[in-house]
Amino acid sequence: MEQLLIKIGQNLFLVFGLMALGGAATMVLAKNAVHSVIGFLFAMLSMAGCYLTIGAEFMGVAQLLVYAGGIVVLFLFVVMLVELSKSREKGLFQRQTPFALVLVVAGAVAFVGVFWRTIFGSSAAEALTLSPNLMAQGEKLGNAQMLSRGLFAEYLLPFEILSVILLVALVGAVVLAKTERV
Amino acid sequence: MPTPTLTQSLIIALLQAILVVVFIFVVVPLTLYAERKVLGYLQLRLGATRVAGSLTGLTGFVNRNMWKLGKVPMLSYWRGIVMLVGDVVKMIIKEDILPTKADKFVFFIAPAISFCASVIVFAAISFVPGTLFVLPKFIPIVGGLPVSGAVGDVNVGLLWILGIASVGVYGIVLAGWASNSKYPLLGGLRSGAQIVSYEVPLTLSLLAPVVMSGSLQFSEMSRSMAVGLPYWGIVPQFLGFFIYLTCGFAETNRLPFDMPEAENELVAGFHTEYSGMKFGFFYLAEYINMTVVAALASAFFLGGPWLMPFGLHGVLNPFFTAHLPAFLVPLLCEPHAIFFVVKIIFILFVYIWVRGTIPRYRYDQVMAVAWKYLIPLTLVNLMLAAAVRYLTV
Repeated sequence: MEQLLIKIGQNLFLVFGLMALGGAATMVLAKNAVHSVIGFLFAMLSMAGCYLTIGAEFMGVAQLLVYAGGIVVLFLFVVMLVELSKSREKGLFQRQTPFALVLVVAGAVAFVGVFWRTIFGSSAAEALTLSPNLMAQGEKLGNAQMLSRGLFAEYLLPFEILSVILLVALVGAVVLAKTERV
Repeated sequence: MPTPTLTQSLIIALLQAILVVVFIFVVVPLTLYAERKVLGYLQLRLGATRVAGSLTGLTGFVNRNMWKLGKVPMLSYWRGIVMLVGDVVKMIIKEDILPTKADKFVFFIAPAISFCASVIVFAAISFVPGTLFVLPKFIPIVGGLPVSGAVGDVNVGLLWILGIASVGVYGIVLAGWASNSKYPLLGGLRSGAQIVSYEVPLTLSLLAPVVMSGSLQFSEMSRSMAVGLPYWGIVPQFLGFFIYLTCGFAETNRLPFDMPEAENELVAGFHTEYSGMKFGFFYLAEYINMTVVAALASAFFLGGPWLMPFGLHGVLNPFFTAHLPAFLVPLLCEPHAIFFVVKIIFILFVYIWVRGTIPRYRYDQVMAVAWKYLIPLTLVNLMLAAAVRYLTV
């Protein structure tokens, strides 16, 4: 019993990962768009579980708060209010299928390559860290404190640039949506 | 203390989860009953006084015979407290109707999401600092082990609470969609927009305690808000408390912000098509969310969950230890779950009080309150909290 539980505990990451994959598959394969969103939500929740099992509590909970709590709600709003079952839109999606297939295959090859190199290549020997002195502090500090120190002290400029990129995307979306009315 | 093995700690966690569910199923029916009675007295009427007023059927048989004996009928005893049982039994045995064109799967899963999200939130709330009780020796596997006052007092507890609570909105939105009917859809959309909007000031108002205590862990935050601040540290809490409570009312869809179920506009909002225990789960989730809001309010704004508010312990303890009988001293002079429960009950009373006092806002007013008034106010409050932090540390 004890051994079995320890075994499960060690492989909890795999369990959550498979759940996330299942959710993602549901999202892609579901006929109904709202069911797809539920699959997406499930995948996001399982991803949060994955983060929790590898000891990144802050990341996990941020995943919950931002993706599961915010972004998927917006998805749901859009999907609920737009009628996707009309044949015209179906035709639109069918035209995209060959391009999508090519992109998916390219993406899959790239990902498998990256995974192959991280698991079996030379980089597998050393642990993935951002900054060694941060890791040393992380032993003493909590998860959130360590992350905030990294974001607001060590990597402040890249962090700010990322937020500016997000802002640009936001303004771009507003401009695209506004053109017809102006 | 021996270190528990994995099996033992899992069993203890299961035990704690059961205790949480028991707590919920004690608090929620009592709140329902209190709502009937308190609302009644607020509106100058009696509230529930009896169950089974009729003279027919099985209850009628009992009642008739009790009238003959010269007694008040058994089932109407003590100010309608039988209503507690009546509400629950009614909900369980009511017919469960599935609308013909509803989406079966989503219709089924929506109340489950709502209910589960509101219960899982309790994982990060710690009822007692440290150990709740030690299991007696004679229990087979887990005898002699301590049960801590929180299921999982993780170091990002507050974020956990906010994150899981924000998943609860899916229950409402999906219920509105799955019913395949106009009013529920509108109710669900309104509620989704309202909850997503009010999450911003709610989180910002909870940031003030985070800034002042410098932690995200529930127990550490409560400890620091109770005993780690100077007296004038209460100023940002004062404003923050009212903002938090307002947002809490909006998040739990209570009056004056009960947009999703504004009866005169939307029949019953997102749960119009629901009946039986599926409706019961939405009902339960609403009251559990109220309890969670009350728990957070008492932890971060009312002087820590396990102590008396406003540092009264420091003033009263010398008097208590001198004059009270010995068995009351550990109960009243030390940190205790009783204070937590009393504060939760007080906030729940405030919920009902406000419901009986303030009329409902219009929908555009609800949104205006959140975006135009509450968010700027919380930002001011956050600045105040940062100033307190700067001056104390």
